[in-house]
Order: sequence, then C-alpha cells, then structure tokens
Amino acid sequence: MAEGSVGQTQAQSQAQPLDERPRKKAGLVHPGLTVPFILLILCFAAWGAAANLTDVLVGVFRQIFTMSNFQSALVQFAYYGAYFSLAIPAALINRRFGYKAGVLAGLGLAAVGGLLFIPASGLLKFAPFLIALFVLAAGLSILETSANPFVIAMGPEESATQRLNLAQAFNPVGANIGVLLGAIVILPNLTPEAAKVIMSPAQLHDAQEHDLSLVLGPYLGIAAVLVLIWVLIALRKMPTPAEERQGEGEARTGALRRLWRNRHYRYGVAAQFFNVGAQVCAWSFTIQYARDVVGVPPGSAGWYLQASLLLFLVSRFVMTYLLGIFRPTKLLALMGALGVGLSLIGVFSQNKVGLLAVVGISVSLSLMFPTIYGVALRGLGEDTKFGAAGLVMAILGGALMPPIQGKVMDQSGAAFGYIIPAICLALVTCYALFDLRTHRNGGRLVAEGAH
Amino acid sequence: MWKRGRRHPGQLAPRLLAVAGAGLLAVLSLACGNDKDKVTLGLIVKRESNPFFVKIEDTAKDTAGDDNVKLLTAAGKSDIDNRTQVAALAKMTAEGAKGILITPANSSAIVPAIEKARRAGVNVIALDTPTRPRSAVNALYATDNFEAGDLIGRYAKAKAKADSIEPKIAMLDLAPGITSGQLRHDGFLKGFGIKDGDRRIVGSVNTLGETGRGEAGMKALLAKDPGINIVYTVNEQAAFGAAAALKAVGRSNDGVILVSVDGGCKAIKDYVRPGVIDATAQQYPENMAREGVKALAKAARGGPKPTGFLNTGLELITRDPVKGVPSEAVAFGVRNCWG
Repeated sequence: MAEGSVGQTQAQSQAQPLDERPRKKAGLVHPGLTVPFILLILCFAAWGAAANLTDVLVGVFRQIFTMSNFQSALVQFAYYGAYFSLAIPAALINRRFGYKAGVLAGLGLAAVGGLLFIPASGLLKFAPFLIALFVLAAGLSILETSANPFVIAMGPEESATQRLNLAQAFNPVGANIGVLLGAIVILPNLTPEAAKVIMSPAQLHDAQEHDLSLVLGPYLGIAAVLVLIWVLIALRKMPTPAEERQGEGEARTGALRRLWRNRHYRYGVAAQFFNVGAQVCAWSFTIQYARDVVGVPPGSAGWYLQASLLLFLVSRFVMTYLLGIFRPTKLLALMGALGVGLSLIGVFSQNKVGLLAVVGISVSLSLMFPTIYGVALRGLGEDTKFGAAGLVMAILGGALMPPIQGKVMDQSGAAFGYIIPAICLALVTCYALFDLRTHRNGGRLVAEGAH
Repeated sequence: MWKRGRRHPGQLAPRLLAVAGAGLLAVLSLACGNDKDKVTLGLIVKRESNPFFVKIEDTAKDTAGDDNVKLLTAAGKSDIDNRTQVAALAKMTAEGAKGILITPANSSAIVPAIEKARRAGVNVIALDTPTRPRSAVNALYATDNFEAGDLIGRYAKAKAKADSIEPKIAMLDLAPGITSGQLRHDGFLKGFGIKDGDRRIVGSVNTLGETGRGEAGMKALLAKDPGINIVYTVNEQAAFGAAAALKAVGRSNDGVILVSVDGGCKAIKDYVRPGVIDATAQQYPENMAREGVKALAKAARGGPKPTGFLNTGLELITRDPVKGVPSEAVAFGVRNCWG
C-alpha cells in the first residue's frame, strides 16, 4: 500500500513523544546494523511497488481477459483482502518468533506469490492470478507488520522516529516504481483491442499469452528482489527485541468494550474504511477513466496514474506543513470536501477536465490516513494498542469498494463510477465535521507514542 | 530456526549482487536486440489533415518502429490529388522501397503508376479505397463497407421494432459512382430488409460526406416529410449535419433513430455517448496500417506476398444495444476511436 499505509502509522504510534527536551545526538542505527537497515529500506520500496503495480493490473486484466470492470476489480479484493486477513496472524508470528522471523516469513511468502505468476500465466485463466496476488499480498502484510517495529528496534529510541520516517520515505518511491513498470513495460505493449477485432481464435490465444507474459515480467522481478533480500537478511545476524507480554486477556475484553462505546473511535474506523476505499478506487480506475472516457491510448494512460501518485507524494509534504498551522480535522474536512468536488467533476465532466479532476483527488487523499488515525486514537490511553489494530482492519475498504465501483462502471460508465469515491469522501468529511462539532476529553493527537 | 554466526555475508552479498547484475544485463540485451533485416517500405495517404489518415500514418510508423522497418511517407494535398501520389510512388521505388501502402485519391488514374512500381518489384497494398481494377494492386486492406451498412441497417430495423416505430427513412448518401458509398447504401437496405424505391424511404440526397450538405439535405427531406424517424447517413460528417437539421426543427434525439459509419472520436464522444447518433459502425484504420506494414515487411524479407482482400474489422458502437444485433459499449468505441 502506498504512503500513508497502515504499518506506517502503526509504527508512528510506537515512537517516542516529540517533546522539546534537549537530548544527546543519537546514531541512526546500532553499530553493525547499517546493512540490515538498508535491506529493510528495500523492503519498504518493494511492497510499495507491488501495491501500486496492482492498481495498473485492474485495467490490464480487463483488456487481456475481456472482462467487466467488476470482475477486474477482484484484483483489489484479493490484494487488500489478504492484507485484512493476515493482520492478526502477522502479529502472532511476531509475538511467537520475533520480528526477524516475521520479516523473513513475509518476504518468503511474498516471493512465493510473485513466483506463482509463472503457472498463472501458463494457465491463461484469471483465477490463478487472483490466488498469486492473494499470496503476494499476504506476504507483504506480514512483512509490513514486522518491518516497522523492526526498524524501530534497530537503533536508539531517540532516533526511532527519524529512522522510521527515512525507511517509510522509500515506500512512495517503490509505489512510483510500480506504476512506472506498468506504464513502461505492460501498458504500451499490450495487444491493441482493435487488432483483436480481426484475429482468429488461435491468434487471440497467442495474443493473450503474449500479454500475460508482459504481466509476468515485473512480478518475477519483484520476486527476485524479495528473494535476494530474504537471503541477505537470513544470513545476517540481527538482534531481535523481546516482545512485551502483558495481561492481555482481561485488558483486551475491557478495551474492546471501551473502544466500541467511544464514538470518535468507532466513527474513525468507519471513516478510515471509506478513506482506504476511496484511495484504492480512485487509483484503480484512473487508467480506465483515461481510456474509456477520454480515449487516451494505453501507452499514455499509465502516466496519469503516475501523476496521481506524484501529486499524492508532494501533497503529503505540503499537508505536513499545514498540519502544523491548522487543526487537523479542519484540514481533513476541507480536503474531504475537495475530494468530493473533484470526484463529482470526474462524474459530470467527461473529458480532459474530468480526467485532471480524477488525478487531483490524490491531493485530498494525501493527509487522510494518518490524520484519521491520529484523531480516532486520541485520548485512548491504554486502549491505543487495540484501537490501532482496529484501524488496521479498516483496510478492508480497499477490498470491498473497488468491486462496487466496477459494478457501477459496468452499468453506467467509467465516469459515473467515480460517484463511489465521492460518497466515500463525503463520509470522511462527515467524520471530520463530527469531530469539529463534538467535545472530547483530553488526550493529545496520537502521532506520538502511547508506549 | 535460522542459524547465526558461522556465515560470511560480507563475501556472499557482493557475489549475489554480481549475479543479479549479470542476469539483468542479459535480459536487457535480449530485449533490445532485433534479429530481423531492416527493410524499406512506403506509405502514401490522400492527405495528412484527415484524422482517418493521420491514424493510418501514426500506426504505420509505430509498427515500422517495432519491426525494424524504414518507413517513407508522403501525402497528397487534397482528397483528389493524384499527381502527388504518382510522384511519390516513383520516388519511393527509386529510394529502395520494397513495398508501398497507398490510399488512392483516384482509383483509376493511379493504376499506371502502381503497375510501374510493381514491375520494378515493389509490392503494393491499397488501403481503405480499392483501385479500379482491383487487380492493379497485390491486395486490398479495407473495411467491408457493405457489412458496415448491413450492421447499421439491422440495428435500425431492430430499434424501430423495439420502439414500435413505423419506419420513415431518410437516406443521406455519398455521391454517385463512389464505391464505398454505394456499398454502404446497399448494405443498409439489405440489413433493414428493404430495396431501393421502398415506400418507407422518404427520399435520398447526396452529401459528398460533408456536414453542410448533410444538414441541407436533411432539411430538404424533412420538408418533404416531417415525420422522418430513421436516418441513414453514409458517414459521420453527414450525420453531424443531419443532427443539426433535426435539432433546428425541434426533433428530439429520442424520436429519431440516426445511424452512421466511421467511429471517429468526435462522433463517439459527442454524439453516440449522449445518444444523438444511436449507433455507428466503427472501422479501424489502425488495422489497415498495422497489417499492411507487417505483410509488406514479411514479403520484403522473403515471405509470401500479400494477396486478396483483408477485412480490417467493424464493430457497432451504441449506448442502447438491441437484441439480435451484436454491438460494443460506448467505452469500447472511445478506447478505439480515431481522430
């Protein structure tokens, strides 16, 4: 998942409070862990690449298998469904075997998923690709859950936030590489749709084989990188921090009850669900909008998605600055409303203006994940850890909303499909307004730690 | 679970990176290599300002680039500029072109120049427009214009039945003696299940495929019978004119079935998508160019010479599909339109 992912904000919550006490300058990592740290940075880039390459795949599979938008959106259902499903098992692996084991398990499983693209492209059927993507995403989910605390544990506490931010900064780098791979390697080389109009069944079969071989390449590349990182990490001595074990049974039951009664938290989880849904929807169907509504050629359509991600990245820095000036939920409300407006322009303005509006939705998305995360967890105190886990589960929005948008697109066209992100972002705006209008007791905004 | 302490990652890591780098270089060299002999081909279109021919030229250049082909190009100054095309044929032959693609401006007048090139060993494929006689070229790669007319005729008939319309048909044709226009006209009649002179045909006008003449012709037919509810147009330029005339007399899109042929982007986005044109038969100039370049390149490298007729494909594009007539959605039309 692109910057602003679940793991990033989870790890932020585990970092030290950013108070103003003067402190001794700490090294970035413990002695001897520079190379392992670099290897983990590569992991952050790799899962960014894999996640955003999936956004390209939605449109690619639609063309290769001549399927509906709903069917092709199952790619995201498989990908984010795996993230949702493996959130708890990932935590259990870390608790039982340690973070290094978790990282290796994640890398290994993700590499297997990448390699499963080989038999999938031989079978020329859609379902094996969904399985391969599920396995890949399952591995990345474990990797993401393990890598963040592992990075924190690699050096002094004083530099934990800096270390994590540095590692996380490579996630959007990977995300852009993923889309770039799609835009350069896959999209321009797909068999043109018009050419298929006059192909014989045998030629269509050959064309499908050719197109699927294009998809195979980048995933084999990702698998190769993951295997290489796996080997280098496995052979490396790395101290793994002890897991904290507290009286979890009783604490968990009480926490769940308290969290459920907390409307700011409860609505925050819902808002996060719709935010992730809006983000995945907006990016999954940008290429389809460019092609179906505006008629942009396949070779050029990928660049609009690339522009979306770059805009997201730049906007994130701008929002970080603005968050220091304005109340977060005011900014969230404003960006939510902006996102709704841009989505509606995409719906009704079925031309280049609409396409630019669709690309512009990324500006509004840029601050949402960490802001909702922080607002929802504010003031939870000892319940923050369980609260954070609940917010992780909100990633389910990325699995469920794209097929809904795909269905709407099949019924009413690619432009009207953007009513789904509009609705999702309207609900996020409602959460921001709710927070602005209601009083809540104490607690700082959780970007700092509760640990 | 994982052993520690007795390995030497410091020695292993650089070796692994070297292997990975070598592998990457090997893959890149394979990807960049092209083992086909370079050949020279030519493309001569009617004129470069027509989006249909722009699509042909762009696709031909892309295909040539992928196939290690040097592509010489030329265009006439107008749709009837035969002189420039004759000169281009001679020049390309002299420059070593082994094959030439041509969209003839004058189907008869170009023949002597084509035959001269063929005597010099050049294979020639006509694109879109046949020569007269057809045997003057090696092959013709074009839309089946009769099939195009038939497709929209079948659609119009089925839509009229579904809407319970008693047909009153206006025919906006091309011009006498132009083969493509005549084929589309005849195809429409067959698809609709009628013949020339049928009482359901209010009248027909020649538009030369122009919007202005289409509008004037439609107005004249509406004056003859304001109840016209089915409009056949030979191409989309004529359809734009027909739509303007219908709008001028206050006829809504819903009350008239307007069909056409071409599949250009303006028609698909601005007319078919909002339902002004009910259906259009989309043709694919890119297929003419792509298949033409591939066939001539193959022949130039010792493969079989192109022969016969290649149907470069048609799809009916509509936002209101009807039962029994295969069609594609507007999104397909947008993705594959030209111009």
